[in-house]
Amino acid sequence: MNISGVLVHIRPELVDAVKSRLGDFTGVEIHATTDDGRLVVTIENDTGPMVETMNSFHDIEGVLSASLIYHHFDEDIEQ
Amino acid sequence: MSLNRRDFIKVNAIAATAAAAGVTVPGISEAVSKTKDTIRWDKAACRYCGTGCSVLIGTKDGRVVATQGDPDAPVNRGLNCIKGYFLSKILYGKDRLTQPLLRKRNGKFDKEGDFEPVSWDEAFDIMAEKWKAAMKEKGPDAVAMFGSGQWTVWEGYAASKLYKAGFRTNNIDPNARHCMASAVGGFMRAFGSDEPMGCYDDLEHADTFVLWGANMAEMHPILWSRLTDTRLTKPGCEVHVLSTFEHRCFELADNGMIFEPQTDLAILNYIANYIIENKAYNKKFIDKLVNFTTTPTDIGYGLRPEDPREQKAKNAGKGKLSKISFEEYAKLVKPYNLDYTSKLSKVPKDQLVKLAKQYADPKRKVSSYWTMGFNQHVRGVWVNGLIYNVHLLMGKISEPGNSPFSLTGQPSACGTAREVGTFSHRLPADLVVKNEKHRAFAEKVWKLPEGTIPGKVGAHAVLMQRHLKDGKINCYWQMCNNNMQAGPNINDEMYPGWRNPDNFTVVSDPYPTVSAMAADLILPTSMWIEKEGAYGNAERRSQFWRQQTKGPGESKSDLWQLMEFAKRFKTDEAWPKELLDKKPEYRGKTLYDVLFRNGQVDKFPKQKVTDDRGNVYDNEEMDHFGFYVQKGLYEEYRIFGLEGPKKGHELAEFDQYHKVRGLRWPVIDGKETLWRYREGYDAHVAKGEGIKFYGRKDGRANIIFAPYEPPAESPDKEYDLWMSTGRVLEHWHSGSMTRRVPELYRSFPDAVIFMHPNDAKKRGLRRGMSAKVISRRGEIEALVETRGRNRVPEGLVFVPWFDASRLVNKLTLDATDPLSKETDFKKTAVKIERA
Repeated sequence: MNISGVLVHIRPELVDAVKSRLGDFTGVEIHATTDDGRLVVTIENDTGPMVETMNSFHDIEGVLSASLIYHHFDEDIEQ
Repeated sequence: MSLNRRDFIKVNAIAATAAAAGVTVPGISEAVSKTKDTIRWDKAACRYCGTGCSVLIGTKDGRVVATQGDPDAPVNRGLNCIKGYFLSKILYGKDRLTQPLLRKRNGKFDKEGDFEPVSWDEAFDIMAEKWKAAMKEKGPDAVAMFGSGQWTVWEGYAASKLYKAGFRTNNIDPNARHCMASAVGGFMRAFGSDEPMGCYDDLEHADTFVLWGANMAEMHPILWSRLTDTRLTKPGCEVHVLSTFEHRCFELADNGMIFEPQTDLAILNYIANYIIENKAYNKKFIDKLVNFTTTPTDIGYGLRPEDPREQKAKNAGKGKLSKISFEEYAKLVKPYNLDYTSKLSKVPKDQLVKLAKQYADPKRKVSSYWTMGFNQHVRGVWVNGLIYNVHLLMGKISEPGNSPFSLTGQPSACGTAREVGTFSHRLPADLVVKNEKHRAFAEKVWKLPEGTIPGKVGAHAVLMQRHLKDGKINCYWQMCNNNMQAGPNINDEMYPGWRNPDNFTVVSDPYPTVSAMAADLILPTSMWIEKEGAYGNAERRSQFWRQQTKGPGESKSDLWQLMEFAKRFKTDEAWPKELLDKKPEYRGKTLYDVLFRNGQVDKFPKQKVTDDRGNVYDNEEMDHFGFYVQKGLYEEYRIFGLEGPKKGHELAEFDQYHKVRGLRWPVIDGKETLWRYREGYDAHVAKGEGIKFYGRKDGRANIIFAPYEPPAESPDKEYDLWMSTGRVLEHWHSGSMTRRVPELYRSFPDAVIFMHPNDAKKRGLRRGMSAKVISRRGEIEALVETRGRNRVPEGLVFVPWFDASRLVNKLTLDATDPLSKETDFKKTAVKIERA
């Protein structure tokens, strides 16, 4: 099980388009947005392709960078 | 609010991310404060590149379970890149080595035998036997060590001492030779002192950023995010990117330029010429602070002397500078006009002018960044010098935002390889073995008899492999790197030497790498946070960490291995009688005794390692040797910076580094230095002096003219494509760590051939088809990729080198910069056929 926090930096003028594209990914949630184009994003993905998800953020028009902030990978935390 | 475990982790993830973004998310901080954490958190420098991000390591029951970007770290401010994503998983690959393995047959060592587990005693017995036999028969230069820019500071220091003083040979070189040597050469020739004058703070101060052969978006993602931030928030900020193919940095570029390989030499001379013709140069600065010089030309390609290209070179390997006047310099750069440069480089004229104007405008602050594009270059020292020429002509140097900045690829290429001086020609703190006074100073610090350290420069990385093949070096120990994958020309120049029946090769590594499998003896290594460590990053920042967890099985740290091996040698077995006569009390002692129990290294007794939160940490080396080994080695090493003949290398006390997020040297009275050579920032520059390049006796920096000269190998009728090799975001170097993280492996499993669709079509290929890449030295097979993150121009292919099953270095040529001895991995002539 993986949970991670990702800071996504985008072109501010494309914020709506980017947010809607991000919403298409399974396990991705947006928690905050700043005016200068910073998004607070979490990815929850138990078995899926985490890295691919984060990497494919880069393929979205308007995304300039995606940086990992926090990553947890406990193997048995389903209590 | 009640939280289950999953919510709790998620809340922490949001809180950390929001903090890095500089926003508050309603309700989150309350939620965090309600949770009880059983994880022990402590800082460590990241294991991968030279950026030097700090990460917080979360340990529970002796196992690392979580990591996060360190919010208190000035370098990364809470961010991590995607490799940092799974950082801690590199410790837990399924095939970690847990015991020494020796090639044996019928119970005895046999070069043609299979690997069998042996004890550390048996491993060191056979090693010592081989080392002693080789030294007795041929002298000290029959043994060698190939080390690393990933060694911790004290590991590099211990290795250098063991070889240079203990075995009395300078046959020790780091893999940093493959990545940094040209940068070092450039610094020493221009400034007489290694490493950048600026720091990462320039990323917030510059008006223009220029990338020269650096794909920061993939290789230094955290610095790239800081640059991106400035570009988007600072009005008028521009980003210029130069490369031989289009990569991710081009997405942000205001001026993206694809140039013909090797013509960066011409482009930089064009900019200098533009500055002079437009009289934009800073006359006051150059009159007071600059010497104009020129370097010998037609210097060959560092190949074997019998190679026709070396025979033909008029000044093979020469680099002595001659002084010239400003007018003579102006005349030398004059041929690099816009027409000539645009034609040679294939960069459109308007783009070249746009670039030149950034440098020539006195009002714009310019920061230039480069990595392997400049360094892995048959004229690497020259091209490093040419960028300083441009900055020096304008006086755009040593102040916030004006910064020529050499980025590094390894976590301690600076802190260990360069500062400790683990190169075949160096000693700590910028001293060199060729200088008698420098050797004498090192011998004094090390309490050794005069004449212990040999003055002869040892074999560098590429020469070491040639000497193994030729049987001149018979014992070779490779530690903390994977040279059989990373070094050039594997088929012709590397593998034959390792399997030469006269030679005994040892590899220390956490994993069974390509190198390990080619060796005779494999030693299992405790890595990174399985020991106490220190790295030094690209901005002169030294960072320490405590041991967080234990290595698996019988694995031992590099430091333990080096010091234990030193116990196997009596001074009489390594040193001649005349030397021992000068210090008879060393007779009968071991190299361990004289190098590591000299009253300095063993000065600090065993103690408990704790942090300010009351946590207690292991230190296996301290337990084993009975004293605080890391502290003793560091404090002895520090003497070189405090009292050595080269000014400006002061480091802080050992204990201070455990309390802070690193400090940038020179550290004077506990204060770090952000911009070197400038009054007000650098304590070595006195009041009223303004700027002083004190690394050189006259206080002036050298502008060094060097022309365009062609590479060692260019495409021709048969081998009709350029091949460049390098890294990708997901994998670090040879992939020995990142390919063992399942998530990273899956995301970029195999190396591909990035190729232009027209080039593919001409050869009957399409995306996803298998093709052979063939050079004069070997061939590999990989799939064709015509899309994706790297868009190469027609005539060039890019093939990454992380993939152990597709060894790109079977194709590369062992041509080096003749001055720095660093290989050019960027310009191989190849042909491509359907597989």
